[in-house]
Order: sequence, then C-alpha cells, then structure tokens
Amino acid sequence: MERELLLEGVGRRYGLGRAAPWVLRGVDLTLAPGTLTRVEGANGTGKSTLLRLIAGIDAPTEGRITGRPRTAYVPERFPAALPFTAAGYLIHLGSIHGLSRAEAAGAAVEWLERLGAAEYARTAMSELSKGTSQKVAVAQALLAEPELLVLDEAWSGLDTAARAVLEDAVLQRTAAGGTVVFVDHDPRRLAGAPDATYAVVDGNLRAVTGSSAPQDSYVIVEVEGPSGAEPPAEAARLTVSVEEPVPGKLRLTVPDSHSDTVLRILLTARSPWHVISLGEESAAKGVLTPRPADTEVPS
Amino acid sequence: MTALRPLLRYQAALLMRSQRWLPPVILYAAFLAIGVQTGQPILDSLGYAAAAVLPVAAWFVRICATNEPPAARSCVGAAAGPARAHLACLLTAFGAAALLGVAATVVVTVLSSPTSTNHQTRLPVLPAGGAGLVAALVCALLGTAVGALTTWPLLRSPGRAVPAMLLGAVLALVVTGSPARAAISDLVTGSQAGTVPAPLLPLLGAGAMAAAAVAVACALTTRRG
Repeated sequence: MERELLLEGVGRRYGLGRAAPWVLRGVDLTLAPGTLTRVEGANGTGKSTLLRLIAGIDAPTEGRITGRPRTAYVPERFPAALPFTAAGYLIHLGSIHGLSRAEAAGAAVEWLERLGAAEYARTAMSELSKGTSQKVAVAQALLAEPELLVLDEAWSGLDTAARAVLEDAVLQRTAAGGTVVFVDHDPRRLAGAPDATYAVVDGNLRAVTGSSAPQDSYVIVEVEGPSGAEPPAEAARLTVSVEEPVPGKLRLTVPDSHSDTVLRILLTARSPWHVISLGEESAAKGVLTPRPADTEVPS
Repeated sequence: MTALRPLLRYQAALLMRSQRWLPPVILYAAFLAIGVQTGQPILDSLGYAAAAVLPVAAWFVRICATNEPPAARSCVGAAAGPARAHLACLLTAFGAAALLGVAATVVVTVLSSPTSTNHQTRLPVLPAGGAGLVAALVCALLGTAVGALTTWPLLRSPGRAVPAMLLGAVLALVVTGSPARAAISDLVTGSQAGTVPAPLLPLLGAGAMAAAAVAVACALTTRRG
C-alpha cells in the first residue's frame, strides 16, 4: 500500500514558447513514506517551483510525477484576505482534505490551540496578524494528517513556541509514515532530522551529504512499560537502537533532534510508559552523561 | 480524490461572503427594470432577460476565479487537485448565474402578458416560461464558457482579461451560429409568429461549448502557474 512519490526526468519552465528558460530540468527524485527531505538552494533557484511540483500545484512541463498521496501544502506567506473566520476557514479546508465537518471543526480547534492561536478562532481572517495567519496556514495543512506534507518556508513568521510545535508535528508525521518535504532558510531547522538533503543547483538536484546536519549527539531514554510490551512503532522508528537490559525495562538510543517527539509518543501512548532516566551521549566519545529525569518534557 | 461537495461549499461561501456578487446582480436588476414592463409580450421580455444573463455569468466566473489569493488557492490545489478546485469555482459561478436566470424568468413570466408581439394570439404561460428558462440556461452556460476562457488561468492580467471578457460576451450574443443568439431569436420569432419555441438544440450546443471551455481552463490550471 505504501507507495513512493516518484519524479522522473521532471522539467518545468514558465510561459509558452521555446525561449522560456527552464527553471528545473531532468530532476529525478524518490520520496519514500516515512522520510523527511530538506531542499536547499539560493533564492530564485527553483526551490519553490520544485515544491509546487511535488505538491501537485504545478504540472511538470516534461517528465512525470507518480504516486502522489493525500497532500497538504504550506506557503511561505499566507494572505489573510479571505472572508472567513480562522475556524470557519479551517473547517472548509478540513472538509476539502476529506474530514467530516464535525471532525474538521474539532481538528481546527485542536490545531489552533496547539499553535497558540486558540483565541483567534472566531476572529475574521482579515484582522489576523501575519504570524497568526501563518498559524492558520500551518493548521490547515496539519489538521487532516496528510500523507505528503510540503512546507515552503512554513516557519517564517511563526513565534518560537509555534515553530517548535511545527517541528514536532513534522517529526510525528514522518514517524507515522508520512512523507515531509521542506524548505527553510534556517540551516538549524530540524537539524539532524532529515533523511535526505538536496540542493537545487543549476535547475537540478544535488544530494547534500552530512555537511549541514552533523549528527553529534544522542539521548538515552530508559523506560519501564507494561511487561512484555513493545515500544510504540512510531517511537521505534525514530530510535537508533532498542536494548532490554532488564526484562520490562527498555533502553532507547534516540537522536537528540527526535528525543522530544519520542518522549511525547511514549508518555501519551495508550498504556503509558514510565520514564526512568534520560541521559545524553556524545557520539564522539560514547560517554553517557546523566541528566535528571525531571528534565522538562513537552506536554 | 476529494469529493466536489466541500469544494463547492467553499467556493459558494467565498462568493457570497465576498459581496462582489452585488454589482452584477444590481446591474442585472436595473437592466430588467428598464427593459421589462408589466403587460409586455412574454416571449420578447423573456428573451431580453435571458440575453442579459450571459455577461452576468461571465462576470461571476471572473469574480470566482479571482476571489482567492494565490497562496490560498495553492493550499486548496494541493489538497484537492488544482483542476478540481477550478472546476468547483466555475460550477459555482454557473450556479449563481443560473439561479439569477431562473429567478428573472419567474418574475418576467408572472409580470408579462401571455400574448404574441402584436397582442393578437394568446400563448400558454407555462410553456412560454419554460422556453424562457431554457434560453436563460443557454446564456448562463455560454457566459460561463466566455468567462472561463477570459480569466485565470488563460488570461491573467486584468488589463487584457476584462476587455476580452466583454468582447467575448457581446460576440456570444450576436455572432451567427452562437447558441445564445439562436435561443434568443427563437423566442423573438416565436413571439412574432405566436408560437412557443423549444430552443433545445441551442441548449445542447451551449452545454457542449461550456463543457469544452471548462475542460480547457481546468487542464491549464497546473500549467500556467
């Protein structure tokens, strides 16, 4: 059932006529379910064009794209010039994403709350600040749990708390088997998390290896759970290794960038896991530095 | 693939709440108030009311196609597919024009005198109203076609799109072979001859033309950026 999104020999140019320059040409790309992909490149190199092709908003001029699942897109700037309230707009978009109206209404409230914009649910879109509009744009993309999430500078304009929520939501989406592609000007955005990073250079994609995302630290999470229980699959996907030093106790090694997400999954699992200890491990030295177990855990 | 219903609901809400539908509706009402008077021959008045639906339909398409900021259109396009989203937009505009045409037909049918142009022959009211309804639908369909071909994604700069739309609407009413012209002259000649026409052939023609125009516009949504 899980299909890959495939771009084969994809090219795009704007305008008709043969004189129009190619923005992208000969792009081959495979996006597997459960992966996070970062796209880099200088301004005007065609990052946004690539993202619009992936999201299905534009069709390639040549080549083909196959296997696109249920998709959501967050643009860089989301204009508020729509004659709806924030919640009203999100209910419309939720229905378009395939939710029932009741589900859409519930998800709209939930996501506005998570992004810290609950008090604007009944505010007309035209009266929203730039940051709150962007939260609405993020909420419309996340509320229906899309299988493919395309983020074009989605973080710009968000406050710090909402940025963290979006980072977390991205990791949860990939942990749940979704595909996420993003562009962001901040090189630290989701550092270490992407499964692949590409740069758009001269209208084509070049794989970026290791440079921007050194994976330098891991967190060791020791948890106790219902006897004989397996850790939730979503958490297991994000861990590097799972050991069972004592029956009933698990020791998970998690990349630092994923640790908050793994903890949240464990703590909100149907039969919750008890976190015994958290520790940091430096990959270089392999030293386990204890960290108090009451370290702030995102709720 | 998203169902069309939520898209139609979204587009209809956008149109209603934008209030940009007011100018064409007011202009249409004024046009009827000037041209249609109580006791005039029914088929003549129905032809007049139907003809004016054509530019109004094109105008509604223009409103619907330009109502959404591009970023918002992209969000819906990713979720539902841009072609489908644009189909919903065009159907909403057609629906609004058809609704206006039906309302005008009912009002004109009630107010007019059910007679031929020279007031010598009596005409059956309901069949006459039905013929007017078909003519109004023909004009709504053709106006939708004109609107679809003279706005985004085919023509994007208003400087070219608006004159093209107006010219298209006039040509659709006067060019020989146009279903709208055929439907309206059916009503006018019927009024002179004292018979109620059934402009079904123009309806078929207008339906085919509208379907073709809508198909072209929807197919281009992902190609013109």
